[in-house]
Amino acid sequence: MLKIKELHAGYGRLKILRGISLDVSQGTIVALLGGNGTGKSTLLKTISGLLPVMDGSIEFDEKDITNSKPHHIVRSGLVQVTQSKEAYPAMTVEENLMLGAFTRSDKAEIKYDLEGVYSFFPVLKDRRNMLSGTLSGGEVQMLVTGRGLMAKPKMLMLDEPSAALAPKVVLEIFANIYKISQTGVTILLVEQNVRMALLLAQYAYIIRDGHIMIEGKSEELINDPAIKEFFLGGTVTDTSKGLNA
Amino acid sequence: MDFDFNSLLAFIIFGVTIGVVYGIVALGISLIYSGLDIVHFAHGEIYMFGAFIGLFFSQVIGVPYPFAIIGAMIFAALLGMFIERVFYRRLTQAGGGYTVAGMGMIICGFGMSVALMNVAYLIWGAAAEPFPVDLGMPLQLGDISIPQSYVLTAVVSMLLMVVLNYFIRNTKLGLAVRAVAHNKDIAYLMGINVPLVISLIFGLGCALAAAAGVLIGPMQSVQVEMGYLMLMKAFAAAVVGGFGSLPGALIGGILVGIFENLGAAYISPSHKDIYAFLLLILVLIFRPSGLFGVIAKVKA
Repeated sequence: MLKIKELHAGYGRLKILRGISLDVSQGTIVALLGGNGTGKSTLLKTISGLLPVMDGSIEFDEKDITNSKPHHIVRSGLVQVTQSKEAYPAMTVEENLMLGAFTRSDKAEIKYDLEGVYSFFPVLKDRRNMLSGTLSGGEVQMLVTGRGLMAKPKMLMLDEPSAALAPKVVLEIFANIYKISQTGVTILLVEQNVRMALLLAQYAYIIRDGHIMIEGKSEELINDPAIKEFFLGGTVTDTSKGLNA
Repeated sequence: MDFDFNSLLAFIIFGVTIGVVYGIVALGISLIYSGLDIVHFAHGEIYMFGAFIGLFFSQVIGVPYPFAIIGAMIFAALLGMFIERVFYRRLTQAGGGYTVAGMGMIICGFGMSVALMNVAYLIWGAAAEPFPVDLGMPLQLGDISIPQSYVLTAVVSMLLMVVLNYFIRNTKLGLAVRAVAHNKDIAYLMGINVPLVISLIFGLGCALAAAAGVLIGPMQSVQVEMGYLMLMKAFAAAVVGGFGSLPGALIGGILVGIFENLGAAYISPSHKDIYAFLLLILVLIFRPSGLFGVIAKVKA
């Protein structure tokens, strides 16, 4: 569904991504993992059209979307859910959700989908007329995810949905992502929570310094000692080994 | 001087009337500020152009006064969108607001102000033109008589505010305007055509300025240099109300209008234009974020 070939991109003259190739097939959950400053968010911004493509190509739904305008990309059904802090705090919950449906004009269906989102996230229904700035971290994450669903996407790209949330809330969020994928929406999940993401996804890419370091099926990666050492720092002795190296 | 309650009331009424006009110009400045992160320094000239276009519609073509207002608004909106698209867009794309490029934006605004003023000199000359509009007898309110142009000004300004507020709060496009004002990247991700909405915001701000120009025309006269002082007063109004806050702009405008009229009446009429800035200084000393500063922080 999403095909990225040898993508180079960055900010101004500063190149962050150095030749990323990535494939997401229809109906799957694919995880993109990596630490801070490895280029995960840059990649999402580039796919969404917020940053220019320097080299390489992006194809979505069999159409070339390299350097397309962001609002055209949204209209084609590829929707990015930004990190949780980026709701509109001065708008009510319902206004935020309606904003997600901005590209659509089918009023009856929008209303139906709004009810769908509310039954998905009942908390949001209780808070529908409150300013989204008053929501808790987990609720805001539900709000931005719901807002993404309001666009009726073919594919959702989620940017660190578990960031800065309590473990119990994280479980809930991941359960929701699974439910969303069951409705037929393809998902690209960008995460730092490696274990959870690997449990959920069928395939995963690990990004480091702007290129894909490792890729493979989740069940293979999850038992890979190299992954364990890379992300968890291994044992204490391993860590000291790393320090001396 | 004996204290006369009726004249105090009259001064306040006139102050409010002129104040709502400051308010709608300030509203335009505030709208453009929250939408584009730039302070538009050529806004006074848009106001002046609006007044001349209104005069042209009303005196040369001979359309009724209310239609002259609408005509001027449409023309100014188109002029504003043209200016934004051709000149400002390059700079705002490089980052507006507080960046170094934002500094360039300020210079560009001043340059546009000078350029527009000189174009106006070429077209209309330096002489002040009267803008006679026959609206009938003044309205009698007890012992106070209020000219019809003041009544019309207050009514039209209020109407514009209400319509704008409805548009921003209750329509889909208004929602998009607020989204763009708050965060352009997220607005893009919602599928909003951000450059188009920015054009719309700019056009809207300019249309408001033009309406103010046509409303003020019959009270004073229309001349090329009228924009400068209006910009300053509207700026004061926007700051008093809290920059970027739409209700703040209106209340700030009314406060400036009342303050100025009372100052002129009871202190010294020859320093009429100083009082607005006195109020500005007082607000900046005691409440630097403006009266509605809290609202201004969460833009629009």
